Formats: sequence, C-alpha cells, structure tokens
Amino acid sequence: MVVNKPTIIIYTNEPDEDFTREVCAGIEEEGVLYQVLPHEGDLDTLAYEAAKESMLGSGVGIYGSRLAMQMQHLPKGKNVFELDGPRFWQCRNLGANSARAIKKMPFKPVYGQGENPKAYT
Amino acid sequence: MKLIAGVDIGNSTTEVCIGGVEENGAFRFLSSASRMTTGTKGTLPNVLGIKAALLEAMDKIRQPLSALDLVRLNEAAPVIGDTAMETITETIITESSMIGHNPSTPAGAGEAVGELISLDNIWKGKPGVPYIVAVSNRFSYEEAAARLNQHMPDLDVRGLILQSDEAVLVENRLSRKIPIVDEVRHISKVPEGKQAAIEVALPGTSIRMLSNPYGIATLLKLNADETKAVTPIAKSLVGKRSAVVIRTPHGNIRENVLPAGEITFRGDRDLTVNIDAGADGIMDTLKSAGEIRDIDGQPDTNVGNMLTRIKTSMADVAKAHDSEIRITDILAVDTLAPVEISGALAGETCMEKAVGIAAMVRTQHLPMQKIAEKLEQELKVKAVVAGVEAVMASLGALTTPGTRLPLAILDMGGGSTDAAVLEADGQVCTTHQAGAGELVSMLIQTELGLHSRVTAEQIKKYPMGKVESLFHMRLENGSMEFFQESIDPRYYGHVVLLAPGEMLKVEEDIPMERILEVRRDAKRKVFVRNALRALETVAPDHDLRKIPNVVLVGGSAEDFEIPEMLMEALSEYRIVCGRGNIRGTEGPRNAVATGLLMSYLA
Repeated sequence: MVVNKPTIIIYTNEPDEDFTREVCAGIEEEGVLYQVLPHEGDLDTLAYEAAKESMLGSGVGIYGSRLAMQMQHLPKGKNVFELDGPRFWQCRNLGANSARAIKKMPFKPVYGQGENPKAYT
Repeated sequence: MKLIAGVDIGNSTTEVCIGGVEENGAFRFLSSASRMTTGTKGTLPNVLGIKAALLEAMDKIRQPLSALDLVRLNEAAPVIGDTAMETITETIITESSMIGHNPSTPAGAGEAVGELISLDNIWKGKPGVPYIVAVSNRFSYEEAAARLNQHMPDLDVRGLILQSDEAVLVENRLSRKIPIVDEVRHISKVPEGKQAAIEVALPGTSIRMLSNPYGIATLLKLNADETKAVTPIAKSLVGKRSAVVIRTPHGNIRENVLPAGEITFRGDRDLTVNIDAGADGIMDTLKSAGEIRDIDGQPDTNVGNMLTRIKTSMADVAKAHDSEIRITDILAVDTLAPVEISGALAGETCMEKAVGIAAMVRTQHLPMQKIAEKLEQELKVKAVVAGVEAVMASLGALTTPGTRLPLAILDMGGGSTDAAVLEADGQVCTTHQAGAGELVSMLIQTELGLHSRVTAEQIKKYPMGKVESLFHMRLENGSMEFFQESIDPRYYGHVVLLAPGEMLKVEEDIPMERILEVRRDAKRKVFVRNALRALETVAPDHDLRKIPNVVLVGGSAEDFEIPEMLMEALSEYRIVCGRGNIRGTEGPRNAVATGLLMSYLA
C-alpha cells in the first residue's frame, strides 16, 4: 500500500546541492515536512508536477541553479516565485514560502536586496 | 440659457455644481464635480482646486469655462479643524533588559533561567551553572547545533537566544529539547554574565510567566521593590509568543509619567481640567464651561505645546496674529499608541496611554472675498460670495426626497462636524464642532501603529478581506469571494482593502479582526459622540427629541458604516436619521453647492 504523507514535494533535476539544502532548511524552520525526489523535465514541469503530487498542494522545482515554487491548481509555467542563480537567503525564503503557502501566512521577501542577508553567504 | 456655478470649499474637498436658468426662469441642474481642496480652506491657493473642479463639471456638459455667467462661493465659516496626538505615559528602560517579540517560529516551550553566555565563549562555561546561550548569526544552524551538542553533556544549558530565524532548525538538531527564542536583531547588546529568563509559549497561547510581574520575580528571584520596577516590562510583554528578560543589577526601568498638563477653558465660566482626567473628564468640563471664547494649555507641557502648535500653524495660513486665533472647541478621545521603547533589544513597542485632540480654530474671518476676486480675474467670469455655509447646506439637504421642515443637518466633513437646524420660518441655528474624518484617520494610524497616514485613510474608507488562497478571500463580514484568475501572490495571506477596481495591501501584519475593531471604535468615538454633542447644541431648548429629522451630508456621510452607527444612536430619540440624497441623485455630497444655486433663484 502506498501511504501519502502530507509533505511539500521538491522535484529536482541535477540540482545545485547547496540551494536544495537551503530550500529544505526554509521549509523545516516553518515546521512542515518535505520530500526531495529526482524527476524528469524542465523547471516549469518540475514545479508544476511537484505541486500537483503534493498532498499539501505546494511544490518546489530545482533545475540546476534555477528554482521555482508552485501551488496546486495554478497553470503550468505560472510559478509563484522563480529564481535563477540566487543567493542563499533567497532559497531559504523560497522554501519558507512554500510552507507558508500551506499555513496561509504572508510570504517572506524573495527578491530584491533582502531584509535578512545571512552573514555566511 | 445662463450658466451658474455654486462652489463649496471644504477642509478636504472642493465641490461644485452647475445649473442653467432658461429665459423664462425655469431652472435645471446640469452637472457637478468634486476635487481635493488645494491649500488650507479659505486661502488663495484654493483657486487652483476650484478651477479644476469647475473645468471637470463644465467638461461633463461639453462647455468651455468661459461659458459660465456667474460663480457663487459660500461664505465659509471661519473655522478650521486640526488634530494632534500626545502620549501621557512613557516606558523607559535605561539598561537594555528585555526582549519580547513574536517571532513566527520559536521552538520548544516553557521557561528557563540561567546566566547569559555567548556561543563563542561557551568553552569557558563551568559545569553545574545553568546557562542561557546567545548565538549570533555568524554560526549556521548546523554549526550552532554541533557546538552545543558537544558541550551539552558537561554544561547545564537551559535555553537559547538566536539572532537568525533558525530556532526550529537548531532545535531539530539538538540532543536535548530546550526553549529557543529567535530573530533577536541586536544580539550583540545581550550582556554576558547576567541572569536571564526566557519563555516560549505553547502553540496557540501567549507567554504566562514573563508577562506577569510575580512570574518574573519568581524566575529571577526579585524582592518587592524590584518586582515593582519590572511591572512595565511585564506589561509590554503581554500577548507575546516568546520573551527574554535580563536582570541588570541596577537596571533602571521605570514608567515615566510625563507632566501631562492642564487645559483651561475660557467661556461663560473659566474652568481648568487635567489631561489625566481622560477624554470623558475633559469633555464634561468643556460642557460645563458653557460657550467657549478660547482654550489654552498650561505652558511647557505636552498639551500646552500641542494647542500652541495648532494656533501658530493656523495663524500662518490665515495670515492673522496669534491673538486673533481662538480655539473654540475641542474633541478629546482616549487612545493607545504603540511607542518604541528606548532601550529594548528587538525594536519592541509598548502601548502607551494617549489623548487625541481635534481642535476647532476660529479666525476673525476668512479672506473669501479675495478668493472671489482672484477667481474673477483668472476666469473672466463674475464671482461673488453668497450665503452662509450652514444655511446653504440646509437648503441643499432639503432637496433630499422625503424631508420636510424643520430639518436638521449634520455635515460631517474632514475637519469639522457642523450641525444646523432650519426652522419652518426660515430661522437657522448652527454650530461647528471639532473632530471629524481626519481625527478618525489619526486614531486608526496611531492605534494600529501604521507607517503612513494614507493607509489609515484607506482603512477608514474601504471594507477589507483576507486573501486566504490564491483563488479566494474571506471578507470582513465572514463571507467568501472566489476568483477565476489567481490573485497576485504578493497579496497572499495579507489583509487587503477593497477599493473600487483594485486591492490595496496592508503592509503591516495585523489581524483583520483587530483592524476592524480599531476602525469601528475610532468612528464611533468621534462621530457618534460629536453628532450627539452638535445636535444637542442646535436643538430647540437643547432637547434632541424636538428634532424630527436629521439629514447626514458631507464626505464622511458617504462612509459605508458611519450613517448606520448614527442611525442606531439616534433612534433612541425617535429621530428620522439617514444619509442625504441631494437632488435625489448626488448622495450626501454637494449640499452646499446645490444650496448656493437654489438661493440664487429665491
């Protein structure tokens, strides 16, 4: 029997490991569970399929150094957030936002200079 | 056909109305428009706004400005409203000694007491001493957790204070569960070697020990005098999800009561009242002082400075001497203002008691004649000052279907609340009172701690909703609204204001229920109180029951909930009260401008 856990699904295709780790940290800090799984396809497909498969309706796609956050029922390609070669704090907040989407909380800033750049980036 | 314009200059809006008189004397209303008042009411810069409004109204009937035959201005009452806010208590913490905030994700639960030590110096720690460890953001969550796990078996680590937002991440990697407070911005200010107590509330609740003076006393072993000194700390921590209190041996924390000062009313009787008496006390004294000639504040106190400031700023615009400017009415309202505490570690604020005051300033006269001359010069159209504001408003209000004489109007604008009773024999009794829409905006802004007045104005004007998913939002009345297209993610999880045609995001993270409560409260405090006060003044024998019907006009009568509030309050006196509908089409706006045209015919 396949048991679906309530998780955010992260589909990856040859991902940047540091970015993946930061996204996961963002989700973990918000107290939500996640699964990281390799998947075929381009960035839009990864994010779209991840959100579709996620029981919680929120997914992240990581394709190389590009990231996208997507929510269930949104059209493919219309990602909620998209990053290309981001800084670590951006990945962290993108992960946090995928969790906040489920918790129905306002999103953290993902673009711009950043309100909380970390000392180690 | 002759084209005539009526122009009403108010504190915040300038309204115009255009009518045509046929050869045979028949009269028709043709169009109307309203614009922001440019400059202070009754001063020359107003001309700019009048022209813009006239242009808009003439455009609607496809006529050039030069087609006008006559412009009639209202003799504006020489009263101008202003508002000010002053806190009367202040909490000062001279040695940084508390952190009380609402990080979205603290970790662990419960309270802990120990000596403060930074993670850099943890190797200096002695076994057997309870510690609270402060971790700067130079350590990643993995490093922090690894280092702590290494020392945990030897040292008694009771709790953690983190600079970065990583409480859950660190907790998940620790071998033992302890309360963790995170997002403490100024961690470098946390003094090492001092005793500290930290508390993290259970999910869904707020802290219990540190928001209670005796709780702090228990944890930090304080004596009776010290406990008294930490009361303001406890007060400012009420409702927080996590908190840190640091014991500084000679920590000088006190609640400063500022010299609030006294207000002196010079009227039929000269009376003095202290601001500490609160809004009700002030208003009662005002009432017993009878007709007011002037109001003063005690020099060198907050209220004294406030009233002087209002007078001088009015003297500047009216180009009159200070001595000619008199404050003839005030409306005082109790409020709470969040004020940043000097000496706090994470930018905490404390709700301080404050009094908001709107004042009505009377100058000798407003230079309306000069405005008329300037207008005549610029438009090459004859302009005259005609008719007293309140009489014109009553005439205009009478065009509301279903009204009859005697009629009372309540003109609720931006700066003042005016009332007038028009008797069947043409007699008019009027009053101008301080406090209207602008005071409401100020109360909303201070009580919610908003950065911009514009947001407060919008909160006052529009209903709101909370965006709960990308496809629906819950409106303030509990109903749901769904969308075909997904909502912009920037709005997600935020409270938005539903302005016509767009959604406006409230940047501050304040629950919708709280905004709703503050908004309604502010409107009630200002408008219901003022309406009763104003109507009592103009009513025959000061008896409200002798007024058969009240028509609400002016900008604030357009509000989506103020008329209902007034209707409810006035129904006790069996008064028919409702939002005016000038000429059956204009709603509560344009009463004065309409009255100006009607008085031309009479």
